[in-house]
Amino acid sequence: MSTLDAYGPPGRLTDLDDVGLKAWNVFLSDSVDGAVKGPDPAKVRNDSPRPQFYNLTRAQTASDATEATVTWAAFPRRIKLDSLSDAQRWQRADASRDVQDEYCEWSVTRDDAGRIIRVTFTCEGPEYWDVLAQTSPETALRLYQQHVSPQVRKADLFGLDGRYQRRNRWNDSTTQGAMHLIQPSNTLGAEIELAAAATIRRVIDGQELVTAQELIACSKYGVAERHSDPHIGEVVNTVARQAADLSLTDPVGLYFNGLSTEGWLTPDSSDPQSYWRYVRGEQNHPVRAVYEVPADRHFTVSDITIGGKPIRFGAQIADFITIKLSAVACRIGDSTVQPQTACVELVPATAGPATSAFAASAFSPYGYVGAGSAEAAATTRRA
Amino acid sequence: MTGPTPDGMRGQPPERRRATAWAWPSDGGGRAGGSYAPGLTAAVPAGQGPAMPDLAAGRLYRAVSGVDGEARPMADAERAELHDPLAEVFFRHGRFPMSSRELLAGLDGAGAVPEQSVFLVSESGQLPPPAAPGLHRDIRYAITRAERGRIPDLLISTGANSDPDTTFLQVAAWDAQAGHFNYYMRIRPAWVWTGDSWSALAPASRGHGCFDSHVNGSVVMKELKQPWIHWQSMAATIRLAPDDPLRGDPLYGQVAGAEQLETTVKALVGRWTDARLAKVTAGGTVDRPDHLLRQLFTSTTVNLTSTSVQSATVRADGDDLVLPIGFWLNGDALLDDLGLPVASAPPRVPAALYLGSLSRFGFRMQERTSGFSQPGDTFFAFLVPEAAREDNDVVHRMVLAGIVPAKFAAAALMVDFPNPVYSTDRARLMAYVPTAPTPAAALADSVADAITTAARGLPQDSPEARFAEHWALADDAWPTAFAARVDTYLGRAAARTGTPEGFDDLTRLAESRRRDFRSRKLNEFELTLPVTDIPADAPRLRMNEDATVTTTAPAPVTQGATP
Repeated sequence: MSTLDAYGPPGRLTDLDDVGLKAWNVFLSDSVDGAVKGPDPAKVRNDSPRPQFYNLTRAQTASDATEATVTWAAFPRRIKLDSLSDAQRWQRADASRDVQDEYCEWSVTRDDAGRIIRVTFTCEGPEYWDVLAQTSPETALRLYQQHVSPQVRKADLFGLDGRYQRRNRWNDSTTQGAMHLIQPSNTLGAEIELAAAATIRRVIDGQELVTAQELIACSKYGVAERHSDPHIGEVVNTVARQAADLSLTDPVGLYFNGLSTEGWLTPDSSDPQSYWRYVRGEQNHPVRAVYEVPADRHFTVSDITIGGKPIRFGAQIADFITIKLSAVACRIGDSTVQPQTACVELVPATAGPATSAFAASAFSPYGYVGAGSAEAAATTRRA
Repeated sequence: MTGPTPDGMRGQPPERRRATAWAWPSDGGGRAGGSYAPGLTAAVPAGQGPAMPDLAAGRLYRAVSGVDGEARPMADAERAELHDPLAEVFFRHGRFPMSSRELLAGLDGAGAVPEQSVFLVSESGQLPPPAAPGLHRDIRYAITRAERGRIPDLLISTGANSDPDTTFLQVAAWDAQAGHFNYYMRIRPAWVWTGDSWSALAPASRGHGCFDSHVNGSVVMKELKQPWIHWQSMAATIRLAPDDPLRGDPLYGQVAGAEQLETTVKALVGRWTDARLAKVTAGGTVDRPDHLLRQLFTSTTVNLTSTSVQSATVRADGDDLVLPIGFWLNGDALLDDLGLPVASAPPRVPAALYLGSLSRFGFRMQERTSGFSQPGDTFFAFLVPEAAREDNDVVHRMVLAGIVPAKFAAAALMVDFPNPVYSTDRARLMAYVPTAPTPAAALADSVADAITTAARGLPQDSPEARFAEHWALADDAWPTAFAARVDTYLGRAAARTGTPEGFDDLTRLAESRRRDFRSRKLNEFELTLPVTDIPADAPRLRMNEDATVTTTAPAPVTQGATP
């Protein structure tokens, strides 16, 4: 039996100072508490509370704890469904970070001839960068300069009011660099909310819902057309049905599970896997990856073929990347929480603006103002 | 066709896959009746498979269906020719693992092909266990073993929810030295070599034994693409009862998503295709052009595809369904491999029309073997056969290798392109493909010349005339010309799909293609496909380029046949 002292940063990154680490723990802990509490029943019915989800820093993880890893493909499923051909979908996925919605975003660097020389992938949630940039702005700048471009200036990252801009000129395109996730659904808040909401069992008309699409349609905890959300929900709910308590494993985050290079061929028969490097995050928790051929090899990424076809898009690599999260389950068989017998219903708003489940209030104890409210609206819940 | 019986086993335990679909006449599954041959089915149809006399323990036998009349011990010289991991780790040292556990432990002990991945498949895996308590669920493991950082060299198929000592145990093993797969199965107390990839192509054994599924000598994953229907994947989990003993199986704890197996199988198919092409075109001559080009002009086999929507979640006022692209055309070959610059979006179907079709045509999942029946479609909606990866891969790599130009492949595939599988029109063009060795550099021109010559005396809408018209296009004009036709077709298809009459036609067409698939041995399990009230003897249907559906001639039977 153990209780976590404090939530650690994603990938156990070492960028945060003491204040930042405390702020991060508060953010995570408050986010989990908010997810356990669920939405206001006056606004959303049948979705709160979520007592099978728990805060690792407040409740003990029992000795029967077991971990489950959920993996999914990084290429955006919605683009795949709407495209007729590979060329169409690769082009569309490479065109905008806003469509890269599987908790993995990328940026492509080409040479003057248009050949790909590097593709950078990130699965770092934006909330971490809010905390880092506000608590250690010089570190944030240094990391941008290290990983994106030496040309990055502080003024590029911070607005006139001093707030960190998640979307800035060095992190809002598929060509100028990708420091962390910016697609609106790609947030740690969304991950936490989704995992918590998926612990609610649903018995509708006497039948317990168990499939990914039934659950997400009823529980409305994400975007049904993504690879990630329905799958995460299905796996979490499977564990919840075993009458277990459940939480996201520390360090809470989204991580690269791996790159498969099956069917890839390099011009010199070198191992295509050797050009895939993790550059941020500890082993087993990588949050940043680069695919790049060293200059002394005298060929580019575009000279590598997959199934006989040269790599012309970063999205072709994304086809072979999987992303993961980890959850911990304990007290298996002990939960007495009863299933909900109705689906989630949104109560029509009568007046006033909707509140965000994940406002930046987590930083207030330390006097920090996080991202703007629009950016902090981190849930992926659909109206 | 009468279902196979265990007669050929002659006293051996029935360590075969329980192919329930083979137990019934190929009547489309839509009608009651039929003569069920009880018992487990053999992997080899009765009368075609080698006899299995009492096998001696500790021996490797040879039994190639269609070639060997009876299993016989492999000679030392024959065994010495086997260089795959199974032969090298076990048989060469007189070891014969009798279960998947022994096999995997033996590999671990030898440090051979150490990277293991486990996958799970079942055609009944999405049926709620309480709703079908009497159903034999036929859950199988597919296990791959690879050298670190390499694509797998061993693929093991075995029953998951059966006694590991008695359930079937089959292995496809890559022989890197020879450049082909060896196929084995355990028949207690021995192992049997059932052929290699080349056996799939040899006239005597083509389509027989394990090559009824491994039609062109490569490994097979029928449901290769998202949502990998029937497989456990990131799209769906195979459902087990809370107390199912499988949950306690260590292998079950290792199960990965079928999305991973998709990339593996594609790479393995490519490896065999490359090896095969290198061998049959060595010296600049194509040994048997017909063996290659039948994979362009005919459907030697198929994959299965579906929408990504769980059929039970479809609501009349819900989102439109995107039907699988492979239903409309061979998009993998024409768009992805040959690069036609098509601009269309995939046609969509109003959910209400799909739902209406389920009741109007009496869709149900049915297994007569057990008496199970449940209204509705397969777990993922609208399951249909599509052009096979292994056919497309041969065409793609022939183009890459310069054996035929891209225009030749496109000109052929654009003949009757709205019918990506079982096209009688394209199959007719096989008559012009030489069977004798032909210089690779002259192959495409010789076939094209033969077709265009014949076309002069045939109607303008004949397959020959259509090919000739395509072949006459300028080298820089055919991609846009073909793309424009595809765009026009898909536009018409989208319009017709949105009407009740149009969607009913699509439903009938889909069932017509499923009926063709049912007649193939690749259709192992009754619950692979839905059953409808459409009569089994309803005329075969075809899609036309104006997106109308009309009747057509019977499907060409190519599997196992050598033109």
